[in-house]
Amino acid sequence: MSLLQEVAVGEPDPIRPRRGTGSTARIIGSKVLRAVVTLAFVVVFNFFLFRLLPGDPIGLYTRGRNMDAEQIAALREELNRPIWEQFLTYVRNPFDPGIDSTRFSQPVWELIGERIWPTLLLLGTAIVLASIIGIWIGIRAGWKPGSRFDKISTGTTLTLYSMPEFWLGMMLLIVFGVGAFGIPGLFPVGGIVSPGVDTGSPEGWLNVLWHMVLPCTTLTLIYLADYSLVMRASLVDERRQEYLMLARAKGLRDVMVRKRHAVPNALLPTITLIFLSLGFVVTGAITVETVFSWPGLGLLTYEALRGPDIPLLQAIFLLFSIAVIGANLIAELLYVVIDPRVRQ
Amino acid sequence: MIRRMIASVAAATIVAVPAAAVPQAQAADPVVFTVGMLADVDSLNPFTGILAESYEIFQLQYATLMSASSADFTPTPALAESWEVSADGKTWTYTLQPDLLWSDGVPLTANDVVYTFQRILDGRYEQRNFGNYVRNITSVTATDDRTVVMTTKEPSPIMERLAVYILPEHVWSSIDGKAVKSFANEPAEGEITVGSGPFLVVERRTGQFIRMVANDNYFKGRPNVDELVFRIYNNPDALGQALVKGEIDFASGLTADVFSTLEGQEGITTYAGDYSGFNELAFNLGAATSDGKAIGDGNPHMQDQRVRLAISHAIDRQQLVDKILDGYGTPGSTVIPPLYSTLHIDPGTQGYDPALSNQILDDAGYAMGPDGVRVGPDGVPMRYRLFVRSDSDSSVKSGEYFKSYLAAIGIEAEIKPVDENALFEIIGRGEFDMFEWGWVVEPDPDYQLSTFTCAKRSYEDGGEIYADLSDSFFCDEAYDELYAKQAVTTDQAARADIVKQMQQILYDDVAYVVTFYYDNLEAYRSDRFTGFVGQPEGTGSLTFQYGTYTYENVAPISDEGGTTDEPTAAPSPGATDEAGNETAAEETSGGSNTGLIIGLVIAALVIVGLVIVLVRMRSKSQEGDKE
Repeated sequence: MSLLQEVAVGEPDPIRPRRGTGSTARIIGSKVLRAVVTLAFVVVFNFFLFRLLPGDPIGLYTRGRNMDAEQIAALREELNRPIWEQFLTYVRNPFDPGIDSTRFSQPVWELIGERIWPTLLLLGTAIVLASIIGIWIGIRAGWKPGSRFDKISTGTTLTLYSMPEFWLGMMLLIVFGVGAFGIPGLFPVGGIVSPGVDTGSPEGWLNVLWHMVLPCTTLTLIYLADYSLVMRASLVDERRQEYLMLARAKGLRDVMVRKRHAVPNALLPTITLIFLSLGFVVTGAITVETVFSWPGLGLLTYEALRGPDIPLLQAIFLLFSIAVIGANLIAELLYVVIDPRVRQ
Repeated sequence: MIRRMIASVAAATIVAVPAAAVPQAQAADPVVFTVGMLADVDSLNPFTGILAESYEIFQLQYATLMSASSADFTPTPALAESWEVSADGKTWTYTLQPDLLWSDGVPLTANDVVYTFQRILDGRYEQRNFGNYVRNITSVTATDDRTVVMTTKEPSPIMERLAVYILPEHVWSSIDGKAVKSFANEPAEGEITVGSGPFLVVERRTGQFIRMVANDNYFKGRPNVDELVFRIYNNPDALGQALVKGEIDFASGLTADVFSTLEGQEGITTYAGDYSGFNELAFNLGAATSDGKAIGDGNPHMQDQRVRLAISHAIDRQQLVDKILDGYGTPGSTVIPPLYSTLHIDPGTQGYDPALSNQILDDAGYAMGPDGVRVGPDGVPMRYRLFVRSDSDSSVKSGEYFKSYLAAIGIEAEIKPVDENALFEIIGRGEFDMFEWGWVVEPDPDYQLSTFTCAKRSYEDGGEIYADLSDSFFCDEAYDELYAKQAVTTDQAARADIVKQMQQILYDDVAYVVTFYYDNLEAYRSDRFTGFVGQPEGTGSLTFQYGTYTYENVAPISDEGGTTDEPTAAPSPGATDEAGNETAAEETSGGSNTGLIIGLVIAALVIVGLVIVLVRMRSKSQEGDKE
């Protein structure tokens, strides 16, 4: 949602004076190093953050169980280890499979493993669709700013962008899920697959696809403006550049000027944006996952927060950090490849 | 490039659709009863899970020695067909039903019962959920295949309510005390979890559904439906819509607003069933640890029974039911809800009467101050902290009502919303004056009554204060004596008398102001299924019972009426009825394929349309460029 502001992060550095060869390797090296340092910081910070949280984990765990005070005291003793010892265990393997979630009594890594695929599938598809359609709209609108297409598309995408996710999702659910205004309810109200359908079979895959239509449409519609507006803005900028006049002067058709010259340059910020948003794919979309009962990570985070389920939160938090840092790194490295100015 | 990608996606979709259309013809379609609920289970391992949803699955999967009757919750035979107690009340002999079988065909014998109880007695982890059932047991032995003998330290009525899930020794013996902690008890693909209840787990997908199949070897006979599916919806609106659409046949735990939108919808019956929960306004009656050491910073006014009595008279319980529960509940009186008709009493002496409240406070020396807030005999104004649970809408709303009720009698409540976890600790440390919360009460009153004993007050461990069960810090010698007495009274009628006396003590002392008993809001597709059984029958909840009555008895409508058994027949003039039955046939027969195919074809058409539009626009713009 707030990706629009973050485009600036990936903006190429101003053109620097030419240095010797090997600078590309150095640039890459420094970027990787920066990512690793950030990650190390997050790992340490993460450990202490969750130990600063108030609350008695044993009290939370034993509430609702038939345990007497003696048993609870024994349990508390079991977990009561010195903080440095806990830190060492944690640093050795932050994703220790031996740590159980307090709410689900299941290894945290197993829980995350179960939930990560639905989220990747849903958010990944939505972002791919939104970026493809968004870029296409952005190109058409930005090439002829002020045209009817521009006005309609900009108005529509902005309207969709401003809609609350849960509201749009609920509307789609009622109209196309349950059926209203004479439209039959073609799609399921929630879930990822019908009970009893084998997801390994082609029929299972289609069933998942069928369940994905509504949540994916909701997300795509909402993310659309992210890409189309950035693409449109940067294309409008490119149109003013003098090299386009030269291209026209060479006698190229308008389509060719757009395709070969303007669009490749205007794509840069959009590509950054796409990669940055891929980092957020993992975090899931809590609201849409809630409306369509999609069993993803966003929902798991919400459930973990309600506990609060500290071991689970710690692992999720770390995973999100890694995904965002990783996606940032990829975006930066990609820039080195696609924008020659960065290499100079 | 973009255009090519879209085209290939469309092509893939189109190619795939006919493939899915082929496996339409299936064998006799199973009858599936689908229940929608708002939370997933936390574990299918009965030693691990604690959520109500988990217990619902446990009792379907594993039978217990005895159950609670659907009529009035009295102990009723299950795996044990009968039991008797020795004259001293310490030796119990249970006789199992004849010819019991596990779902895999292995005989279920007294050895399995002994195994299960012994495992809990010997285990550490195993005691977490079932410790209170075995605390009093000294030995469990099998004298023959159908007879189990248990001896206890003291006579105990709990021996007639052993809600311990009997586990198959031949399966569980391979899971030792260490492995059981992380044992998920989920079946491998294509396998069925071995059990003795009416339904058996065949598939679980975290956060999505739990699928169970009917147990052919169930001792009360195979249930009427072939499959029982619990689907999880993450918001109450979607749950309601799923019922309207027919994705589910039963919705449990509905919110009042969704419930009222379902009322009167065709094919749907709404049902507000009595439930075993109550909410209360609680007071800090003098926080202390179980050994009597005072803790916390509660206002001493709260320890004055006359103040609490005045507050009790100031609260309009009927209005709370109307405004907070939308009428789906009953005004509260004591801590044992009225659906336990053999135990509950309603003294009815603390009705809504603010004038009386003012009178009581005047007489007790709490004189009205100049700013409209009374001042106690100790010179301290009647200003109290009232904690509400920020994660519950109804709690926050109740807080507002309490505030205005109290203002009317010259008491100022300072509302403090905190989340439940924080409140739990605040209460444990005694750092409150009043709070709003609730309990769900089991058929055996022991646990609920124990929360008012001196021994269940907070305790100290390593310099820290930890909460135990008591959240009012009620401590009364006469009450404790009665508590100890009911715990060893095995005669149900004599015990009920004691339990009633205990309720009277709590009520007269105003340990709690029990505000209301809320209903469990449920709705079901009455055009498809019948045979729902409430507990108590006729008025109680249809699911989440102490027993599995609805699941055992629910049956598809067509079996009962036998009117429209041929979905292929030509449409009759009775259009509305026909339409209802058609959806039913389609949904239960796994014919959701039709919907799937139509949906996918439309999706494919949209994509193809999009591609065509794109291509046409492109070529048009190119034409434009040429000119």
